[in-house]
Amino acid sequence: MFDLQGYGELVLKGFGLTVAVALLSLAISTLLGMIGAVAKLSKSRVARTIAGVYTTIIRGVPDLVLMLLIFFGGQMLVNDIGDWMGWEYIDISPFIAGTLTIGFIFGAYMTETFRGAILAVPRGEIEAGHAYGMTGPQTFFRITLPAMVRHALPSFGNNWLVLAKTTALVSVIGLHDMVYNAGAAGFTVKKPFTFYLLAAGLFLVITATSDIALRWTNKRYSSGVRKA
Amino acid sequence: MRKLIATLFVLALALAGGQADAKEWKKIRIGVEGAYPPFSSIKPDGTLEGFDIDIAWALCKQMGAECDLVSQDWDGMIPALLARKYDAIIASMSITPERKEKVAFTRKYYNTPAKFARRKGSGIEITAAGLKGKTVAVQRATTHDNFITAEFGDTVKIKRYATQDEAYLDAAAGRIDVLLADSMAMLDGFLNTDTGKDFEFVGPGYSDPKYFGEGAGIAIRKNNADLVEQFNAAIDAIRADGTYKKINDKYFDFDVYGEPTS
Repeated sequence: MFDLQGYGELVLKGFGLTVAVALLSLAISTLLGMIGAVAKLSKSRVARTIAGVYTTIIRGVPDLVLMLLIFFGGQMLVNDIGDWMGWEYIDISPFIAGTLTIGFIFGAYMTETFRGAILAVPRGEIEAGHAYGMTGPQTFFRITLPAMVRHALPSFGNNWLVLAKTTALVSVIGLHDMVYNAGAAGFTVKKPFTFYLLAAGLFLVITATSDIALRWTNKRYSSGVRKA
Repeated sequence: MRKLIATLFVLALALAGGQADAKEWKKIRIGVEGAYPPFSSIKPDGTLEGFDIDIAWALCKQMGAECDLVSQDWDGMIPALLARKYDAIIASMSITPERKEKVAFTRKYYNTPAKFARRKGSGIEITAAGLKGKTVAVQRATTHDNFITAEFGDTVKIKRYATQDEAYLDAAAGRIDVLLADSMAMLDGFLNTDTGKDFEFVGPGYSDPKYFGEGAGIAIRKNNADLVEQFNAAIDAIRADGTYKKINDKYFDFDVYGEPTS
């Protein structure tokens, strides 16, 4: 039943791309999330407003719509600017567009995750840092950041699992990820079910592996904390 | 927010590296699909093959153009064309009035006819008398449904199904005498499978544009009328010099072009 007729390698190649898109967009979203969280908790009204608009809009629009909007709309915008400036056609690579879009979307969720985690760090610890004469950034990197990881992890892990599965959307913008290759191979040999099952299994491999990594990280950052 | 998006675009641009083409039609990027055998499918090494693909290369050779085939998921097919990800779509796209509002089409490059299939040994003929009282299966609200209802509606019993597959299954279960469907779809999806082994084609192919539309064309952005003309001329040329027939015979044992256009 599970005869892949030589298409296994193609799906595995897609698997590699899926993992690459997922990890890169995770890095982008983590970065954006940290910036967003700090902005949301900052004293500056402008920073708070920008971060607020970002999380409200991005979390309110379906991922697929955003993906199409940024990829196709972005290309059209670039074309229009190009025509106006008299440039030749400039291609936005689907890999970059897809990775940036997913990173951009999940940055909004990460913002909320990190904001909650920062708020969970006891105020007194941060004040202690200031009392020792550390600057704002020093306090953040030496005290707030290590202490918040433990609080952020459960929700961070959640976001990551959803993000990994969201990468399936990049097939719509012409990227040959695992889902695209599985679909193409499946329809070619007329066994779509077999190939989508394989794709589902490989997604499980990704999520199961990350579960292990998350548990390990959690253990490390919870050292010194008594279990309730 | 605006600024952020703008920044991201600039970043994307910088990373993509300004990759530019000459704008006269010596270089053409063509959008294809890859999951619609035998018209387009993917080989184990990831390259494409199929009728659409061969036609695309033949047309490019005819036009003396340097072509790049871009495979794209069906859902994003027309948006990607409009966004200039490629300049033409050769993906078995039927010419329909709705699509014509968004894009321009060349003339058809194929038009698979609709055909009847009967149970082997039943001897049913496709005439008003031969079909009298027989049960005909079609997919609901399709061109085939319209055709059978208008042409044979008062002599046959029509059974309409939500999907083509349901019609096949009911035919295999013995509740159907005759099916009407797209010949290619039926050949690949039914007659050549185990489910359809008791059925066979009968009668002529039907491709009256009144019912079945104009066939599959090459979609091109509306402001590129020159490219439409270039493709039309190339389609005529490969029809005339036998290239088309060679490709046709590689995949089909009948002429998929259908009726010649006037």
